[in-house]
This record gives sequence, structure tokens and C-alpha cells, in this order.
Amino acid sequence: MEGAEELRETLVAMRQEIGLLRTEAKHANLLLEALDAMLDVDGRDDPFAGVFAALLPVFDCTAAIVLTESTAQRGPLKCIASNRTSVIGSVWNSGRKLEKVLAGRILTTLSAVDNEGWPDLDELRGSQAALYLPLGVRDRRGLMMLLRARDQSGFDRTHVTLARKFSLLASHALAAKHASQTEAESHRLKHLAEELKASKEALTFRANHDQLTGLPNRSYIAELVNRTLAHKAPGHKVALAFLDLDDFKRVNDFYGHTTGDLLLKGVAQRLRDEIRDTDMIGRISGDEFVIVFDPFERQAELSAVVSRVSAELQKPFRIEGQDIRTSGSIGVALWPVHGHDYDTLRSHADAAMYRTKTAYKGSVTFFSPALGREMSERLSLERRLRAALSEREFHCALQQKVDLRTHRIVGFEVLVRWVDSHGTIHPPAQFLQLAGEMGLLDGITDIMLDIMGEALPLLDAQFGADAQYSINISAAQATKTPFMQKVVRRIADSGRPENFLLELTEESFLATGTFVSEVLPLIREAGLGVSIDDFGTGYSSLAILADITADELKVDRSLITSIHQRPRSQSILRAIESLGASLNMSVIAEGVETAEERHYLLNSTGIKTGQGYLFHKPQLVREIIGRPT
Amino acid sequence: MVALKSVVVSNPSTAQALSELARAVDDIDVEPRLVCVFYDADHDDSLIFGFVRKRFVDAALLGGTSCGGVMSEAGLGGAGSIGLLLIADADGDYGSAAVRLGPDASDRAEQALHAALAAADCAGELPELIWIYQAPAREEAVIAGLRRVVGDRCPIIGGSSADNSVVGNWRQLGPEGPMTDGLVVAVLFSSGGIGFAFQNGYEPSGASGIVTRVGHVPQNGSGVIAKQSARQITAIDGEPAAEVYNRWTGGVLSEKIHAGGSILAETTMYPLGIDTGKIDGVTHYRLVHPDQIGKDGALSTFAAVEEGTRIYCMRGDRTRLIQRAGKVAAAAAQALPGGSQNLAGGLIVYCGGCMLAVGEQMPQVAAAVSKSLNDMPFMGCFTFGEQGWVLDRNVHGNLMISAVAFGR
Repeated sequence: MEGAEELRETLVAMRQEIGLLRTEAKHANLLLEALDAMLDVDGRDDPFAGVFAALLPVFDCTAAIVLTESTAQRGPLKCIASNRTSVIGSVWNSGRKLEKVLAGRILTTLSAVDNEGWPDLDELRGSQAALYLPLGVRDRRGLMMLLRARDQSGFDRTHVTLARKFSLLASHALAAKHASQTEAESHRLKHLAEELKASKEALTFRANHDQLTGLPNRSYIAELVNRTLAHKAPGHKVALAFLDLDDFKRVNDFYGHTTGDLLLKGVAQRLRDEIRDTDMIGRISGDEFVIVFDPFERQAELSAVVSRVSAELQKPFRIEGQDIRTSGSIGVALWPVHGHDYDTLRSHADAAMYRTKTAYKGSVTFFSPALGREMSERLSLERRLRAALSEREFHCALQQKVDLRTHRIVGFEVLVRWVDSHGTIHPPAQFLQLAGEMGLLDGITDIMLDIMGEALPLLDAQFGADAQYSINISAAQATKTPFMQKVVRRIADSGRPENFLLELTEESFLATGTFVSEVLPLIREAGLGVSIDDFGTGYSSLAILADITADELKVDRSLITSIHQRPRSQSILRAIESLGASLNMSVIAEGVETAEERHYLLNSTGIKTGQGYLFHKPQLVREIIGRPT
Repeated sequence: MVALKSVVVSNPSTAQALSELARAVDDIDVEPRLVCVFYDADHDDSLIFGFVRKRFVDAALLGGTSCGGVMSEAGLGGAGSIGLLLIADADGDYGSAAVRLGPDASDRAEQALHAALAAADCAGELPELIWIYQAPAREEAVIAGLRRVVGDRCPIIGGSSADNSVVGNWRQLGPEGPMTDGLVVAVLFSSGGIGFAFQNGYEPSGASGIVTRVGHVPQNGSGVIAKQSARQITAIDGEPAAEVYNRWTGGVLSEKIHAGGSILAETTMYPLGIDTGKIDGVTHYRLVHPDQIGKDGALSTFAAVEEGTRIYCMRGDRTRLIQRAGKVAAAAAQALPGGSQNLAGGLIVYCGGCMLAVGEQMPQVAAAVSKSLNDMPFMGCFTFGEQGWVLDRNVHGNLMISAVAFGR
């Protein structure tokens, strides 16, 4: 999906479609029950008793009244049936509103209206919301009124739609029943009822199942699990597993959505093959599934089954002539120890899955109270991070880049620090990944740019107007063209674009989309520099380097650490250095922390610039310039 | 059976435009129950009213000025255009009524709704749709008044009349004639069913803050101080609102931050968003368009904001604003009973601010809507405020697109 806009659109469309299907299934069910009630009674019984029983709960109303014209000629109306016995036999004057209904209109009233034509009965006194629908009874015109209690709100347009369907079918049914039915009429009605039943079943299935895999959907699996759990006796054990396919987005991006869909179908089929008749599976969103193991005796037995499911998913899927490999991260929560209802179990299994995803992708984690605590700590951190962004608790720190030989400052990397309301300074490792997952990075970058914009004149005064400042941009940010347009424009508006570099990871250049074709030219055109950050840890694709123009390669700290003692790292560094030289990119060593590392870089390589704790620890901008930012 | 016809003429002279309109209407065989008429604010309302009233004596009437003219399935009408949408429906009921808003817009709106229902011969009945056209400024009060009667049991959709250069030259046209501070309410009981949609083409840019102070709100002497809500945001997160907003937008207001004045053009691509609820964890937003920087860095807006609300800086672009119109129209058609195959035509409200931002590419908007509505007749007006239904609630917003689809 392109972004939140498309996601939002898809969700609204899905909700509308599922809502519509559920409503239609509910309507079909009601119509069937009411029709059955009309057709199944023999001539001496009241056909309306069953109809009222079917209608009243669905329309959430308290009274139903059937009026017909007294004779075939127009005149006052008589109540021939009602769930309120005192109303039966009452006479009603046919006014403007009732005439409209008799003529075929369905209408519902606003709550406070004059109830014209109503007889003076205690049962009916006062204004009540009413829904009127035409109903042909034998050879006479008639209508049905549904009334809500005085303290209830009025009917809405959904009720009008349902009433329209009911009115038509019921009039047909009554006409056929009371005019001595011919065999053909009887057959037609039976056929109608059968069609309705089939349609109801089809609608119910569609409303409750995912169309791609045929598995129960998010709401239906919740309903099924809660229904099952409600009838479990103490001592039973049930487990709920939450499965999230690993790197499914890459499958979609690389092979396309058709292959992605076929993979999901394949996964669903493999899950079906692995479970027992008493177990359940549901697909709850794009690449997320829920599996309910019901029952199990011992946890060892459950672990074996879940591991088997996990192993099955890792076998290649043959799709359109290609072998596609995937895996699933699984989290498991147990009933009743980890929760008594679906939502709690799913949420705990989700937390366990998240642990799997971050620590042991493709494996299984069981929920535990300790994990529960971690989950609530994560939620708490999420809340605090949101507040931190709105309270602008993020600050800029600068770390010097220096000439290895002279220690002269040649520039700075702009780093983020979170200074909370208690004054505690949190390093990026504590919050940056989560902030990225929460979509807060753009806001944080905005704050960094604000601070740098304000501090630049004072920094110039201390370090000269030639100093360069490197701003970190994540791969996810780099591929968002509107965001990058804003960043580039803001820096260009400072009038000093040549003083800024954007530090991008290799992943940014690899990502499909518009980065290389749209964003990179934009950066170049505005006069900003480009630095490839953490070089040597990612894909380090030579093909990519051949296609792009960057100014700087930053060698990752993992290659620099103890470089003087690691011949293999030394060989790699030499290769990177020569690559930089041939592509006219300056090479800078990150994470220089010891004199030995500096000595090696100075004497055994041509690298001139370094960055690391040996030279300078990151320092808040407000401390450097001596005033708040 | 419902049938729609649209007619658009473009001519700076009202008299000549009406004479062209008369010829076009004479060629159409339709007796409408509801006539919607929208026109460039440079036209003479009284001549337009006289023509429509005389030609369609018994039809319910609703309309008013539309920023820069109208659009239809024939394309963008452009400057000097007048558009008619004629809705024929022998089995339906339609009525309209107009009021001047006066000091209590809620009361007046309630009166107008009852009058429109009476005009449709449907007093006391819940309509299928309420369509409104009004003077900008008191939309929230108007919706509050209408909701007193119908709650959220039926959709309230419409727009705020607009002029060509945001100088207050907007007018509304009801069954009694033109007004400058009015509200026209139409009630629709269509025999072919109605579908509708209300969306925008913007996404949050990441920045957000809490509205910590709004402008002064008169309390009507009740002595009860409710949560403050106003069309002026004084402070966000305790700082002057304009300064915070300027930071969020990357400094697009820097030149006006101290001098103040209109910022409508600068902020069209960066409106404010208010969370209206979530579907499966994804937030939906109602938009608020800041239009002026006032004293002490206060921001005036085209919709009210409540103190304590979190507001989000949103971001739009031309492409989205063009495509979105077609998507909203398609969603409305799809929502019809029987789906888009049952479509007879549509009525589109497209924000005037978005129209000005899209500029010379506006014919693409008309084409996108037309394609989504299967080239069936439609009329589109350009407004300074939009009303519609979001997550089961009737609301007023800015920079929105509202679509009503009529079933056959």
C-alpha cells in the first residue's frame, strides 16, 4: 500500500462491505423467520403472532399493530392484530400519513409528532417514534405500525430499508396464503423461501469469512472463540496462537500482489492441513492469522504442534513456477491462565509474537507474566513518546567529525536526545526504533531542523561558517517524497544548503519506489550533500553505488572497532577506501574510540576524517551555544 | 423512477446566460421536483431567481454562489458559469425552505427544517437526506439545530456558499429569493435511494499539539461555561498558535507571522486535522482551514475548534486533491441500493480552497468525477465549508469533498 491514505480507504471500504453483508444477512434471517411464521400456521392460528416475535427484537420496538381497511371501500381502519391485545379491534381514522402508507410509502416519524388518526387508548397515549409500512392483507389495503417506547430514540434509515423488504414479501405471503392457494402459487412461495434461505446462508458466509483464504475473518473468529470459551468447563485447556508472516511486504514488493495473495492462500491451506477438526483458524488482517488449539492436555504436546506448524511454514511454497520461502513469527497465550476472553488472549499472544519478531524471527514464544510487564512498559513508553513529541522534549546533540591528524573540527553529526520532564537524557537506542514504528520520526526530524535553524548563527560564531552538519534520515523517511520535499525545502530556505549533508542508510537507496528517481535529484538540485551511513553493514551493493552520486561514505563502527587487531576488517576497509577514491567519495571512520584505532587509521589507511568518543562525546546544542533551544 | 439532468452555461452577462439556459432547458423533457442552481458570484441573483422560479413553478429550490462557477459531466464551467441540476422523481417527495440565520442559527435551522418538511408534505417524517446551503461562519450551530430534530438518524450534507475572492460576497438562493446571511434546507425522500460519501485528500504530516486557548466565546448570558469552542485558536501547547503552526508547515507563514493577514492560499496544502475516530486503529480526520493570522499570533479558522483538542498538521498535494474527487464520487455511487449500476446522477460539493490550489488542472477533477459517475449527469459546486457524515455523525469541516449519488 502507498500510505495511510490508501490504508484508510481500504479499511473504510472493508468495514462498509462487511457491515453491509452482515446487515443483509441479518435482514434475510429476519425475513425468513417472519415468512416462516406466516406460512407455517394453519388457518385457525393468528399468522401475526410469529411475525411479531421475529420483528420486535430486530426493530428494537415495543409494539406492533396491523391495521386494515374495514371494507374493500376506503374508510376508517381497524386494528386486526397487535402484540398489545387492548388495541385489537380499535378504529383509526385514515389521515394524510396513513393514506401515504396505504398507497405504498414506508415512513418513519421524528420523535415528537402529532399522531393523527390514532384512537384515544391509554396504551398509545403520548408521542412515540413510529415506523409505518404498507401490508396487503387478503384483498384489503393495510399497514403495519411499529412503535418504540417514549424514552427510545427514533428509527433510522436502516430500519426503513429493512421495512421495505419485509413489506413486499409479507404482502405476497399473506395474499397467497389467504386466497386459496393454487399449486403453482404454493410452489412459487416455497421456491421463494428456499431462495431466501440460500441467499441468507451465502450472505452469512461472505460476511463472516475472508474472501481470499475462505478462513473466518477478524470479527467472526472473535465471535467463534468467545462462544467456544463460554462453554468450557473448568480444567479444560485451550491455546490461542497469533501468527504473523515474516517479511511478507517484501514478497509483495518483489514478486507482486498476485503472488503475495497466492502465498497467503498457500499458508492458509497449510495451516488447515496441520490442525485438528476441533481447532480453529482465522485470518485477522493482511498477513496475520489466529490459530486456536482446542483442547490440549500438556504444554509439551502443544509446543510440539505449534513447532510443527512453524516448521511447515518454512518449507518452500511453489507459486507460479517459483519457490517462495517464508516463515511465521508465533506468539501463544493459554486459556484460562493468560486471559478469559478472545480479546485478552489475542492481545497477549500478539505481545508474545512481537517478542518473537524482534528476538527470534520465525520461531515461537509463549506469553508469560514477565512479557506482560514488558508489554505494559512498552505501552507506557509509547504514551510517553507521544507526549514527548507534543511537549517538544527532543533535543539536538552534536558530535564532532575531526581531522584524524590535527583534531581540527570539520563538521558535526546531528543526533537526537530525549530529555524527559525529569531532566533524564535518553539515548536513541532507548526510543528511536519504537518512535519509528509509531510513525513519530518525521515529527522528531522537524524538531531537529527547528533547533538547527535557530542555533546556526551561534554555531557559526563558534565553529565558522564552513562547518558541515549531517542530518540523519531513516530509510522509511527517505522514500516518502512529500516529507523529503519538505526537509529539503526547509534546509534550502536556510540559505546554506551546502552546509548540510543528509545521512542515509544503504537501505534507502535499495528501496523500491521513488527515492532514486525523485528524492535524490531533489536533494542534489537543492545543493545538499549526501552521506551513506553505516556503510559495510547493510547490502553494500556495488551496483547501487554505480548508479548514485554521494559525497561521503561513513564506515560503520563495527568495522572500525579494534581495526588494528583484525586483518579481515583491514582488508574490507582497504576495499571500501579504494571504492571511495574511485567514486570520488570521501571516506569517514565512525566509532573511533581508542588511540590504537586512530593510529592504525592514520598510518595504514588514507582515511583522513574520523568520528567517535576518542575525539568528542555528543553534546547538547543548548550546552554548546550556552542558551536554551 | 428518478431522472437527473444538468445544464451549464457560461457567460459573464447574467441576462445572456439565462437566455442560453432557457434554450437549453426547453430542449429537456423533464419536470423536476427539486432544482439545484449554483453560479459564479459575479452574477445577478435576482435575475437567476426570477428565471428559475418562473420556469419551475412547483419545484423545491436550493442554491447559491459557488467559487469560480460550477462543474458538471460536461466539464468545468469556469468563470461566469451557471449550473442547474434538475431532479425528476414522480414517486418521491422534495421540499425546501430558507431562513436568515440571525443571532440564533440553531433555532433558525430547526425552523427551516420543519418548514422544508411541510413544503414536501412530509411534516413529522424522517427524510432520507437533508441537503443544506448556507452562509459561512455558523455551520456548527446550523448542524446542531438540525441534529436537535433528526440526530444522526439521517445524513446532513451540503456546503457553505462561496464568492470568488473571499470578500464575503457569497449568497444563498431559496424558495423566497436570494439572501446574504441565509440557510437553505432541502429535504429529500427519493424513490430511487441515495448514496453518499464525505472525505478529504490530506494525510497527517507528523506534527501535532494541544489547543490550549481559543478566542472569546459569548455564552448567551446563560452563566454556564461549557468547554470553549471557537473559530480562533489563540495558543497551541501554550505558545502563540501561528508560531507553532508556522513551524509545523516548515515556515510557509514566516512572511506573515508578524504582519498578520490572510493565509488562506498558503495553508491550503497544510490544514489542521481533528481526530474523528478510528477504524481498526487507523485515525480519520476532519479538517479545519486556518484563514487569517490575527493579533498576538492567533489563528482564525473556517471551522470551530474546542479547547483541549489535539490538532494535527495535515499535508496535501495536487494529485491527491484531483484523484480524491473521483474516489469520493465512486464511493457515493457504490453506496447506493443496487450499487453504481443503479445510478441516476450526483451532486458534488468540492472545497473552493482545494479548487484554487488545483488551479488549471481543475478540468481533471471534473473528468475524474464524471468517470466515477459513469458519465451520468451531475452538478458540482465549490464552497467555503463542507458538511457531511463521518463515522456515523454529521459534522462540518473544511477542505472536504462531499458527494451524493441518486439511484434510479
